[in-house]
Amino acid sequence: MKNPYEVLGVPETATDEEIKTAYRNLAKKYHPDNYNDSPLADLAEEKMKEINEAYDTICDMRKNGSSSSYTSGSYGTGSSYAKTSYPDVRNYIMNGRLDDAMELLNGVAETSRDAEWYFLMGMVFSRKGWSDQAYQYFQRAYQMNPGNPEFKAAFENMNARRAYSNPGYNTTGAGGCSMCDICTGMLCANCLCNCCGGNGC
Amino acid sequence: MFGYIRVDRAELLGKEYDAYKGIYCALCRQLGRDYSIFARFILSYDCTFYAMLGLDLTKEPPCYEQKCCRFNPFKKCLYAKSESASLSLAAALSVISAYYKLRDDLIDSPWYKRLACRLIQPFFASWRKKAAKKYPEMDAFVAKMLESQLQAERDESCVPDMAAQPTADMLKAACEMLVDNIELRDDLQPERTKRIVGTMGYFIGRWIYLIDAADDCEKDKKHGSFNPYLLPLQTDEPLADYIEHSLNNALSEALLSYGLLDKGRFDPLINNVLCVSCISIQNNILERYRQEDSEKSNEESI
Repeated sequence: MKNPYEVLGVPETATDEEIKTAYRNLAKKYHPDNYNDSPLADLAEEKMKEINEAYDTICDMRKNGSSSSYTSGSYGTGSSYAKTSYPDVRNYIMNGRLDDAMELLNGVAETSRDAEWYFLMGMVFSRKGWSDQAYQYFQRAYQMNPGNPEFKAAFENMNARRAYSNPGYNTTGAGGCSMCDICTGMLCANCLCNCCGGNGC
Repeated sequence: MFGYIRVDRAELLGKEYDAYKGIYCALCRQLGRDYSIFARFILSYDCTFYAMLGLDLTKEPPCYEQKCCRFNPFKKCLYAKSESASLSLAAALSVISAYYKLRDDLIDSPWYKRLACRLIQPFFASWRKKAAKKYPEMDAFVAKMLESQLQAERDESCVPDMAAQPTADMLKAACEMLVDNIELRDDLQPERTKRIVGTMGYFIGRWIYLIDAADDCEKDKKHGSFNPYLLPLQTDEPLADYIEHSLNNALSEALLSYGLLDKGRFDPLINNVLCVSCISIQNNILERYRQEDSEKSNEESI
């Protein structure tokens, strides 16, 4: 097993509060909900499990060494499916047999296609990497049954990715620059040009 | 390759940029060594990123040496030096993809461009032959990409997802090939790393295809060439928003995949590409669409 401190990315001298913060940040980043419709969903679940184990181990170690007062309370990793009308399709998706899942779904008569059908179609397309198609199916599933937490989570996750605001990643505001940034940049560039020749690649 | 995957220099520390520049110059030298001095002209940022990803995953860190630049003997450059196959694979990917891009240009370019392509084709063909001998698998998947691309463009039910798949699949295979051909860092498991890097490659490939399509949309419309954004789209959104959301999605997926990989020596550079540079490139391209939209609405209101 890896060093639990390395897993959380903190030194062994970190305070309880620092460990808790590191754990929370990682849990936010690797939460299975973020990867539910990703081709790497299983790897994200493993990673979350590793983080939970590391956090629990550190908590136990510190509790036994009487250096900490907090109790462990790690995030759950399992994504439990609600009652389903398509158990075979879900199994195929879980096992990466996307063509088989698609074939079964296409075999369902158009009149019997409910919100779960659209959601599962979205899952197949998303795991295949066809994100535009996936979005349309998730949107339809959510519109047909907005009260279902599974459909809502898939739709909201997709919207977060389409806005490039991924939990745990610092991507918001990237690339933007104010007028002051431009002026400063031009001044710096001017200084550099005066001092030496350009060496851009 | 198109040169969209590059770093944003303003957001990097000096030593980080030097490390990147060292890989860029090392790839240039590798192209000269493996193929020809003229092959150095096809050096691209995309393949530099590919080499950097390989060097990030490699067990032995690259060392840097200072030497004179072949094109400017008065300039000293830092060169990354590595025993791994990363640079050799990136050089092969450069020449093979340049050859097939040239063949693609021969199909849908105006006559004067086709003439120029015909003149340089024998050089590209000989480099590609050399690279294919070394990495036949790479030649096969790039050739397959071109074939699938033409097939997708001819398909009447083509949607942007379908059109983007060949490039995405090609980069997926190229990234998986990196994992198969280098000695990985001790903290990386081969199968797991292959899946992560392959998925990341898939979505970066998808992003490259879509950003290139967005960049060329106007030109393709004028010349009557294929462009996925000229197809009837199933959306009510304005085109700029639709493109932005698709691009964001591809980048998010690439970033989420990369997040599952244990961080390596070039993490700040890879993060810079995915979180800063790509976003700034797509903002610049989308700004054109938004300006055109606002000009149109101003004309209508007058």
